[in-house]
Amino acid sequence: MKKITILPAILLAFATILLFQACDEDLPTNYSFDPYEFSSLDENGGQWVPNLLTSSSQIGIPAPTDAGSAEFQAELAALKTLSAQLTGEQQAAVDYWGGDGLIRWNEIARELSAKYNLAPAPNADGSYPAPDPANPANYPLFPFAHPPYSARAFAYWAAAQYDALITTWHYKYQFNRPAAFNADGSIKTHLPLNDLPGYPSEGAVIAAVSKDILSAMYPLEKDYIAQKATEHQNSLMWAGMSVASDITGGDSLGRAVGKVFRMRAASDGMKFAQTPKPVSDSIRDDAQARLGWHWVNQETPPRPVGITPLYSKVKLWCVPNVESVRPVGPPAPNSPDFQTAANELNDVLDNLTNDQRKIANFWSDGLGTYTPPGHWNRFACESIVKNRYNPLRAARVLAYLNMAMQDAGIACWDAKYYFHYPRPIQAMPGFKTILGTPNFPSYTSGHSMFSAAGAEVLSYIFPADAATFQNYSEEAALSRLYGGIHYRFDIADGNTSGKAVGQYTIDRMKVDGGE
Amino acid sequence: MKNILHISILAYLLALTLPDEVLAQTPSDGLMMDRGQICFAALYTHDTWDEYWEGTLKRTNGNIGTLTRQTVMPMFAFGLTDRLNVIASLPWVRTQASGGQMRGVSGFQDIGLWVKGTAYNNTLGSGTLSLFGVLGMTLPTSDYLEDYAPFSLGLGCPDFSIRATPQYQLDMGLYVRGTAAYMIRGNATIERDYYYTTHGVYSDQVDMPNAMSYGATLGYWLFDYTLQVEASYDGLNSYGGHDIRRQDAGFPSNKMDFTRAGLFMHYFPSFFPGFGIVGQYNQILTGRNVGQSTAFTAGITYQFGLWGAGETVNTVN
Repeated sequence: MKKITILPAILLAFATILLFQACDEDLPTNYSFDPYEFSSLDENGGQWVPNLLTSSSQIGIPAPTDAGSAEFQAELAALKTLSAQLTGEQQAAVDYWGGDGLIRWNEIARELSAKYNLAPAPNADGSYPAPDPANPANYPLFPFAHPPYSARAFAYWAAAQYDALITTWHYKYQFNRPAAFNADGSIKTHLPLNDLPGYPSEGAVIAAVSKDILSAMYPLEKDYIAQKATEHQNSLMWAGMSVASDITGGDSLGRAVGKVFRMRAASDGMKFAQTPKPVSDSIRDDAQARLGWHWVNQETPPRPVGITPLYSKVKLWCVPNVESVRPVGPPAPNSPDFQTAANELNDVLDNLTNDQRKIANFWSDGLGTYTPPGHWNRFACESIVKNRYNPLRAARVLAYLNMAMQDAGIACWDAKYYFHYPRPIQAMPGFKTILGTPNFPSYTSGHSMFSAAGAEVLSYIFPADAATFQNYSEEAALSRLYGGIHYRFDIADGNTSGKAVGQYTIDRMKVDGGE
Repeated sequence: MKNILHISILAYLLALTLPDEVLAQTPSDGLMMDRGQICFAALYTHDTWDEYWEGTLKRTNGNIGTLTRQTVMPMFAFGLTDRLNVIASLPWVRTQASGGQMRGVSGFQDIGLWVKGTAYNNTLGSGTLSLFGVLGMTLPTSDYLEDYAPFSLGLGCPDFSIRATPQYQLDMGLYVRGTAAYMIRGNATIERDYYYTTHGVYSDQVDMPNAMSYGATLGYWLFDYTLQVEASYDGLNSYGGHDIRRQDAGFPSNKMDFTRAGLFMHYFPSFFPGFGIVGQYNQILTGRNVGQSTAFTAGITYQFGLWGAGETVNTVN
C-alpha cells in the first residue's frame, strides 16, 4: 500500500501555503509618516490674507482664561492625568492623527470622493435616476462625487481650513496662552513639541472645519465624520498637547468658519450645474447651430444628460471669468487636423505598448476613485510632510491647489459644453478604447486641465520638485490619449488652459502674505 | 476626470475568470496515467454570458452586451509512476463584448502545474474505492491586466491548491465521485496604486480572497469502456473579498461564488487507439460577482506510452 507516498508532498505543500500566508501583510489604507517637528512656525500667519473671510479677526472667539488662573491650572492637572497612561486604542488614535490631522482629513476627503464616485445605474425602462440632495439615502445615493463635484468638495474643505487657520494664528498670538506642555513641563506628551501658543488648538479647528464641510458635502457620512472628529479632538488631549478649553475654542472657531464657506457653497451655482434634459438639449442645440456638431453620449441605454452641463457657471475662486482661460477651440470633425488626430489615436491604440497601458491605468482616476484632484491632493500631502510644513502653511498649499483645480474644472467644463465636441468613440466609427469614455464632451481633457493647474501651483510652492510635478502633469494628460478617450488637441489645449488657471492662482498667492 | 466618469461604461467591468476551475478538469477527475504514459489534450472552450451578478443583484449591462470568452488550452498529463502523475496546462484566452466600446484582449493566461497521486485504491464490494490527492499551482504568464473586468484574461495572482477526490466505481462502469479543493491565492499586482474596495487602499497590490471549490459527479463507462459520460454539479466559494457595488466595475478581489451544472463525455474510438474526443457543457446556476456563463468545450486527447509497460488506451481505476 503506497498510500503514504504523497503525504510528504502534501506536508510540503502545507508548509509552502503557510509561508505564503505569513507574508500576506495588511495593505496600507493611508499614508504612513511619522509626526514631525515643524520646519517653521509662521508666527506672523495671523496677518496673512484669507480668501473668503474679510480678515483674520472676522470670526471672534472668547478670550481664554489666563495662564496663571486656577481654571487653567485645573485644566493642566486634568490633562496630566489624561495623558499619563494611554490605552492601546488611545495611543493608536494619537499615532494616527499625529496632532493637527490635516493630512488625515485630506485622506478622509479623498476616501469619501472615491466611495461616492459611482454613476447611477439605469432603470429597467432605460431611463436613469438622479441623486437627490433632499433625499440623499435614496438610490442613487447623493452625491455622485464625479470630478466636478469632488474638485469642489476638496476646494471648500481646503480653502476653509486655510482661512480658519489664518484666524487661528491670529488668536494664538493675540492671546498668547502657552500650550499645555509648555505651561507644565511635567505633562507627558506623545507627539513632537512646538512653540505655538495653545489657544485655540489648531487640531481642534481642523477637525471642526472638516466635520462641518465634509458633512455638508457627504451628508450620509455625517455620523462617521462626527465620530472621526471626536476621536481627533480627544487624541489631542491624550497626546498631552491641548487642554479642554484649547479644543473648545478651536471647535467653535472651526464651526464658525465652516458656516461662512457653506453659505458660499449654497449660492455658488452648483445646485443648477446638473441641468434637466430640456436645458441640456438647448445647450446642445446651441452648439450645433453655432459649430455644426455636437456631442452625444454613447452608452447603452444612452444617458440623457451629461455630467454638470452648467458647472461653467459655478463661482470661481481666483480666475476672473471662464472666457479669460477659454481655449482656442478644436478642429472641425473630419477636417484634416481632426483626421490627423484620429489617425494618431487609431495607431496608438492598435499598437499600445505595455508602458502606455500602464500610464493609462495609473492615471485613470476614474469611477470609484478619488478623481484627478484627489490624486494631486495626495502628491501635495507627501510634499507637505517632506517639507515638514506646519498646518497653516500646509493648508495654504492645499487651499491654492484645490482652488486652482476647481477653477480648472469650471473652465474645462465651460470648454466642454461650449465646444460640445464628440468623443473619439462617437466621431470614429468602430473605434474602441481601453478606458471607459466619460459622460461629457471631449474638448478639453479634464485630466489635462486639473493636472496642469495643480502642477503649476505645486511647482511654484515646491520649486525643487517642479520637474517631477510637470512630468506627472504631462503623463496624466497623455494617459487619456493612451486610453483612447481624448484626442491630442484635447490634451494640448487643456494643458495650456490649465496652466493659465494655475497662474491666476499663483498671482493670488503672491500677495496673501504667506510667501 | 474623464475617466472618472466613465461612468458608464465602466460599469461593466466585472471579472469572471477562474483559472483553476474553468479549465482544470483533469486535476479533479478520477483518472490516472500509468507509469510512462503521456496524454496530450487540446481543448477549445466557448463561454458566453449576458447576465451577471453585481454583488447578489442579477443584471444585464448594455455596455457589455454579451461577453464571449474563448479559450484554447493545451494540456498534458504524464505518469511518473502508476500512482503519481503530473499535469500541466497553459490556456490562451480571448475576450470580447458585443456591446460598449471597450477593447477585448487576448493572450496567454496562467500556467498550471499539478501533481496528482493515488492515496488509496482498493476493491470494495463489486467495485473500487479510490482517493486521489492533488497539489497544484497556477501562475500568470503574460503581462495581462487583471484590473480590466470583465475582459481580463485571469485573476493575475498565484494560486496554490490542494484537492482531494474520492471515487467509487462499480465494476459495471458506473461511478460516483466527489471533489473538494482549497485555493490559496497570493496578491495580484495592478497598474494603479490606489483603489477602493470597501475602503481605500494605497497600494498596487490586491489581497485576493482564498476559495474553496467542490463538486459531485455521477459517471458511467459505456460500450466496453470506450465512452465515458458524466453529469456534475460543482461550485466555488470565496473566503473574503467584496461585492461589486451598484454600477461599479468588477475587481480582481471581488467575492466570486457560483454553483454550476455540467455534462461531460469522453469518447475513445476503438479503431483509433490512443485518441479520444472530449465534449463538455457547463452552465452557471447561481452566482455572486460572476457572469452567468454557458460554456461549451470540445477537444481531442491522445495518449501513448513513452516508456514502461502501460496500456495504450485509457486506464481506469
